[in-house]
Amino acid sequence: MISAVLIYTPRGELVVSKFYKGSIKRSIADIFRIQIINSLDVRSPILTLGSTTFHYIRSANNMWLVTVNRNNTNSAKIWEFLYSLNSILAMYAIDNSESIKEQFMLAYEALSIMLLETGVIVDTELTSVVKQMSQKPVRPELIAEESTSSRKTNSSNHSNSGSKVFPNFLKPNAVNNVTRTLSTSVSPKKRNKNEVVLYVNEKINILVAKDGSILKSYVDGSIDLTSHLQGRPICQFGINDSMARRAMPRGAETTQSIPTSAATSVELENCKFHQCVDLDKFEQEHTVNFTPPEGSLELMKYHVSKDLNLPFKISPTVTIMTSPRGGLNSCGVDFRINLKSLFPSKLSATDVELKVPVPPGTIDCEINVTNGSCKFIPEDNVMLWKFNKFQGLTENMLSAFTVCSNDTTELSLQQWSRPPISLEFELLMFSNSGLVIHFFNVLPSRDSTVSTRTIKWIKYISKSGAYEVRY
Amino acid sequence: MSDQRIFTRYKANEIRSELQIVDVKKIKSGVAKKKNALRKIIANLTLGNYSEMLLLLPEILKFWKIEDDMEVKRICHEYIRTIGSIKPRSTVESLPFILNDLRSRNEKVQIMALETLVSIPFSKFSEEAFDFIIHLTNKKTVPEQLMKNAIYSLVQLDDYDHERVMSLLNLLYDIVNHQIEKPTIQIAALNALCMIHDVDGNSQPVHISVETAFNILELLPTLNEWDSATLLEILPITVVPQTHDNAYDMIDMVLPHLQHVNSAVSLSALKMVLYLLNYIEEVNQTIIKRLSNSVIALLEKPAELQFLVLRNVILLLLSRDQSLLKFDVPYFFIEYNDPIYIKDTKLECLYLLSNEGTLPQILDELEEHATDIDIQMSRKAVRAIGNLAVKLGESSAGKCVDILLHLLEFGVDYVIQEIISVFRNILRKYPKDFKNDVKTLVKYVDYAQDTESRNAMIWIITHYSDILPDYLTLFETFCTNVLNESPEVQFSVLTSSIKFFVRYPSIETEKLCICLLRECTEDANNPDLRSRAFMYWRLLSLAREDGSNVTNEILKDIVDGELPKIELNTKLDPIVLEELELNVGSITSIYLKPTSQIFRMSSLKSLPNSPVLNSDKSLLNVIDDLRSIGISNSNDRLNGKNHNSNKNNNPVVHTMSDFDKPAEKVNHLKGSRKSSISSPSKLARKPSMLMRKLTLKKKF
Repeated sequence: MISAVLIYTPRGELVVSKFYKGSIKRSIADIFRIQIINSLDVRSPILTLGSTTFHYIRSANNMWLVTVNRNNTNSAKIWEFLYSLNSILAMYAIDNSESIKEQFMLAYEALSIMLLETGVIVDTELTSVVKQMSQKPVRPELIAEESTSSRKTNSSNHSNSGSKVFPNFLKPNAVNNVTRTLSTSVSPKKRNKNEVVLYVNEKINILVAKDGSILKSYVDGSIDLTSHLQGRPICQFGINDSMARRAMPRGAETTQSIPTSAATSVELENCKFHQCVDLDKFEQEHTVNFTPPEGSLELMKYHVSKDLNLPFKISPTVTIMTSPRGGLNSCGVDFRINLKSLFPSKLSATDVELKVPVPPGTIDCEINVTNGSCKFIPEDNVMLWKFNKFQGLTENMLSAFTVCSNDTTELSLQQWSRPPISLEFELLMFSNSGLVIHFFNVLPSRDSTVSTRTIKWIKYISKSGAYEVRY
Repeated sequence: MSDQRIFTRYKANEIRSELQIVDVKKIKSGVAKKKNALRKIIANLTLGNYSEMLLLLPEILKFWKIEDDMEVKRICHEYIRTIGSIKPRSTVESLPFILNDLRSRNEKVQIMALETLVSIPFSKFSEEAFDFIIHLTNKKTVPEQLMKNAIYSLVQLDDYDHERVMSLLNLLYDIVNHQIEKPTIQIAALNALCMIHDVDGNSQPVHISVETAFNILELLPTLNEWDSATLLEILPITVVPQTHDNAYDMIDMVLPHLQHVNSAVSLSALKMVLYLLNYIEEVNQTIIKRLSNSVIALLEKPAELQFLVLRNVILLLLSRDQSLLKFDVPYFFIEYNDPIYIKDTKLECLYLLSNEGTLPQILDELEEHATDIDIQMSRKAVRAIGNLAVKLGESSAGKCVDILLHLLEFGVDYVIQEIISVFRNILRKYPKDFKNDVKTLVKYVDYAQDTESRNAMIWIITHYSDILPDYLTLFETFCTNVLNESPEVQFSVLTSSIKFFVRYPSIETEKLCICLLRECTEDANNPDLRSRAFMYWRLLSLAREDGSNVTNEILKDIVDGELPKIELNTKLDPIVLEELELNVGSITSIYLKPTSQIFRMSSLKSLPNSPVLNSDKSLLNVIDDLRSIGISNSNDRLNGKNHNSNKNNNPVVHTMSDFDKPAEKVNHLKGSRKSSISSPSKLARKPSMLMRKLTLKKKF
């Protein structure tokens, strides 16, 4: 049971305080401010003082979302709840200090839906919370994004915070709401659409050591769903999961004896399903059966670490040397990086961005690249090598030399901590894990009035998670 | 939105006047303004402006009477709750309004009213609440949400009137056992029961029959995620399997929920399975694999949840034999962007996961982080390497020591200090093996600045004085300013000087010894130091006396005796572990401390007795799932396993080039490197070019 929910602005002003237990003193809010917000060196996302525990998270706009607990609760529940609350705030665009100060009653309303008035969590499913709210969300498109943004916020925070800042809408959002309601509720009826889209989203994470050996590599994937189906039909799809093979007689032997056949099936190490999926069915038949609610949701998550298809190969050679030109400050770091795409040449990756860290104190970089554009960004101490499009099976090279400020010595370059080179990209219709959806059926619903043909789409989107190379 | 900002402190009069203006002109814009004024009240309560807002009670009551809007209602209730929790008596006037809402037809309003009643610590309010709850339980059809709220309200009321709640508990038991058709209500009742018992130290923990448990578990697939999480969380202990089959069946029912996307559900499922493992004889290999995989999969959650999972991984590694869990080491490798608390926890996991086979992999990783930019991080990495050397056998220790010596060359203060500190532990575990490395280490004597490393350095110099020819010069650097040292260092300096004197009685050592004894007895402020110095002094003079029975041998034995070998003890008390395992996913699992240490009120949880309870966790057999297919196959499987362990010894690591494919198109570098500083355009730089272009244009 949660005893209180508190929301602070980034500067530590308390804007929402909902107390569920009468015995809690209201001054508890000040204690959190003093202990965590005003403290510079905090090394834990949880704080326990006496028998009072604070769990907290930061939103993309650095708001503080906090819960107070007086007993030994399940922390997983608390953090899951806080992240859902965070998504709700984002959807109603009250995730920054100006707007929440105006619209804080919305937060109270959302809390009254998500929690019982006794502080017990009842429902955090975004679509159903939105349905019960008195207003329509300002950014309904976030429902679909919720799954991806809430995951691994630590790594995406820095890149998102810039783009996600929502303009402070000073105008009343009444007008806004009217148009939104039209677009969300009326238009689907008009078009009489009967479609369902499956997105296979994959993030590949890889860490390569100095000697080129792969320390870890895995794919975090999710199958997301956007459905506008009429009636409430049962959907069903199958994946090339090796477990499914094993269920067949003799299947196990073939996959074990012929390693190459592994490419045609994937060993899912773990899958997690949305609550609408029939878990027992998956257990027995290895097909995913579900009745999708209207809208977008994350249907399934999986994790694969064997037999991956690496999309890019990065081979860096980094040496510390004296400048070829000589001069006063003659030492610097020489980068020679080879970036090669390993996916079929018919595909091309977009938004490819290679981040090459340079030592602190670098004032300039002399860069030569075969393609794309590369810039040195002094504020972050990195070189950014960007491609709008990167064709499959293509090799590109970067050669660069850093020019250091006068006070940099060769020793300090040697002691430089060398953060890993990281790569970002997006690749459509490619599966990092080799996961393929075999079949996808929408079983005809009992409701015979629905006669329109169902449109089914399956899209594969591969992205980079942490694609890092040490050197 | 408004002409004035909502979130500033207001006087009661200002808000009152705003509310009254609106009363006069009853137009639509007035409604918005009125709401705004009401919002200001809530904002001011949040700001802590209670005394002013208290004056507005009559206004609030006036609005309550006339207004049906949900937001206004919510504001009114919120107001009463806040004021009520500070000054319960002042809100008595609002009681009729709350009771009126309680009789409303709108379920939401009813819930609000009930909770307002419950949240005010005043007998008049709680009396009404009790009456209402009893009234609800007697009715046949009650909306689900309202009933749930009523049930949980009892937990709240338990704070004010324990006796009365206890008398109502049988109502809850009734719901748990009989209202099969409403699983959410059942779970709410069960959960409420558990919470009430948790707080009450005297009563026995809640129990439900195996039959009821099966009935509820059957409904598990139909439940909402939070209900499943709650159910799986409270079932351990409340239900006790009576036969092995009970336990096996329950595990089968719970297993699919390990795959739930909500980590609260999957962690609670894990907890339930762990609990049930105590009541079965053998466990299938696939189950173990699924348990481990579900834990690993949770590592892709947001950082805070990752942290929770990693802490629980530590707990599992401590409490269960490694054979029960199969984790791949690389999952615990540290990522550059991980928050510091995750890095810390991953280091601990790596330490616990280490064995002969995984050591090379782990050491590589730790070495990488020993040179991390974060000071604490790098110290912890170095410490972990040292601890590994102590934990594992001699052959592994050699590898660790090699890395430590290599890191010495890195040349950063805090790394060297940490290395010196851990080296003492290594030398105490293996006194003979690394004698040769002591000389290298001693070269860094000047780096030892903090208490621990100074202490360690003094001990090393003293212990290995036989192979260090210049031990006295080394030691003197610590003696020169002994009074300004921290107490621990003062003690070691004193003890070491005595040791030197006893070991090599000579003029230099005697002089040093006397000098230190004098300084410590005459100038030192620390009484402990003085008395220790006196003790040594008396001991030495006793040995000098003729005819005393303290010979040199005895003296040596006292001052410079053999030290016991050290062992690193990471194990927790089995009783604590048992309790922690029943608290997987909870706050205590993060701190890895017994519940009673953090929450004073709570009682100790332990495994309830049953005919099939395993007396010892290690008795649990792990069986191979392929046994049924045939002996030949299971042999294969065993071989495969051996392969795996071989793999661990010489890890087959893929490299980037394994994935290499020939490129179809290779772009080659052309031209020379260009400075990235955005230079002014070429045309501007070379005016002559510009001129030529212009002239060219003219010609055409």
